[in-house]
Amino acid sequence: MTKNTLNDKEMQEWIETEWGYEKLPMGGSVPYPGSSKFFKTGDWSPFKAVVDREKCTKCTTCFFLCPDSAIKMDEEEIPVMDFDYCKGCGICAEECPSDAIEMKDLTK
Amino acid sequence: MTKAKVTKGKRIGMTGDEAVANAAAVINPDVVAAYPITPQTIIVEHFSDFVHDGEVDTEFVCVESEHSAMSACVGASATGARVFTASASQGVALMFEILFIASASRLPIVMSVANRALSGPINIHGELTDQTVCRDTGWISLFSESAQEAYDNTFLAFKIGEHPDVSLPVMFGLDGFILTHALEGVFPLDRKFSKDFLPEREMVHPTIPGNPVSSGLLALPNYYMEVKYQQELAMDAARKVIPKAFEEFGEKTGRYYKSVEGYQMEDAETALVTMGALSGTTKFVVDKLRKEGEKVGMIKVKTYRPFPADDLAKALKDVDAVGVIDRDLTFGAPGAALYTDLKTSLYDYKDRPQVFGYIAGIGGRDVLVKDYEYIYKQVLKNKGAEKAVPVEWIGLRK
Repeated sequence: MTKNTLNDKEMQEWIETEWGYEKLPMGGSVPYPGSSKFFKTGDWSPFKAVVDREKCTKCTTCFFLCPDSAIKMDEEEIPVMDFDYCKGCGICAEECPSDAIEMKDLTK
Repeated sequence: MTKAKVTKGKRIGMTGDEAVANAAAVINPDVVAAYPITPQTIIVEHFSDFVHDGEVDTEFVCVESEHSAMSACVGASATGARVFTASASQGVALMFEILFIASASRLPIVMSVANRALSGPINIHGELTDQTVCRDTGWISLFSESAQEAYDNTFLAFKIGEHPDVSLPVMFGLDGFILTHALEGVFPLDRKFSKDFLPEREMVHPTIPGNPVSSGLLALPNYYMEVKYQQELAMDAARKVIPKAFEEFGEKTGRYYKSVEGYQMEDAETALVTMGALSGTTKFVVDKLRKEGEKVGMIKVKTYRPFPADDLAKALKDVDAVGVIDRDLTFGAPGAALYTDLKTSLYDYKDRPQVFGYIAGIGGRDVLVKDYEYIYKQVLKNKGAEKAVPVEWIGLRK
């Protein structure tokens, strides 16, 4: 079986096409991997996770618990939030054993 | 040890449930996920015996509820597997949510429904309401008149559902106890037939490792309508695929079926219309009335969804009056399920009979020959009525 993949440009085009019922894949499925990369959810939340680099012990708890894989560890092994995808759920702040993450209210 | 009957030929005594279990054993599906419920239990019980004894290669998924059973079926079917399940009444009701997901995701799961009255009050006996309420789930829906037909429907359901133009789940009913538990002579089929009649399922986008596919997705107002319209087109396609499947099955087995089957209809002036096991007794009553000189025939509706509207209009065009016998309920509607659909289907035709509705056999109450004769007399009495005649409950105590 052939593996179906699209590069970023093709995927962007595929997503932006307003498919009609004739060409929409059966049942509305997406036959290519990686489409959620183009579905940015960062503007869903009024909260932003802010890391206190002094308090952080580099334990990686937040990295593993982030449900959106929106946390990367930088070269100093300190978490960096990807605000294109962070929904502001606050799990990282709640679970951080050193209280190094604060959910800052962006509306204030 | 229960030996699966997988050889073709001589008639074997089987209950309806045994017939379905044996048909499933011949088909040898990839996955069966089911939860036992009266009067379907024997299907699952026998099939799990077949799995234990190595008579089938099926992966049998023991689940904790029907909701999980149908969910497991959806997951398995999304990989391209051939999937079978069975349920009844409360079990189907518990699956309800997932039934819509199966059809919208276009997964040709096959489910046999041992038709049983819904609670409450709690009741375990035969009634078709558990399946007629599924009319809006997007499943193809067939009924059986006999254990033989239930056996054959197991094959037909896969044939229809897995057709690439259709790709929809299919449920077929067999009346609780009347068919599920009564012993009947059934002509079995074999694996050679099954292999030939049911070639391997081909799925366009299966979810398998190494080839990621996202299915069962979110579709907001900008896509929901398109996905739902695809389902409507699949039902239209099924209208074409179903008669072809019946034809091919007939050529290979000698047993021919029709979505709308006429009996003694040639010169009939009055017709009784039924679904499921009631049809067998109706045929007997029609023969009896014919001997008494009455010009009466009957129509058996085998395919309930997609509803064979045009076939029915054609079959009933020369008839003056029709009595529809529903073994199902829907409250506050113009009438029961088959009656309302039939009446709607005929509305646009100039040559259409008067249609009167009767509700019988609810909660497994016996429908006797005298009840059918009474219905026939009522149809004759109501013929020519200029006002709407209310639907009548048969055998009801005041």
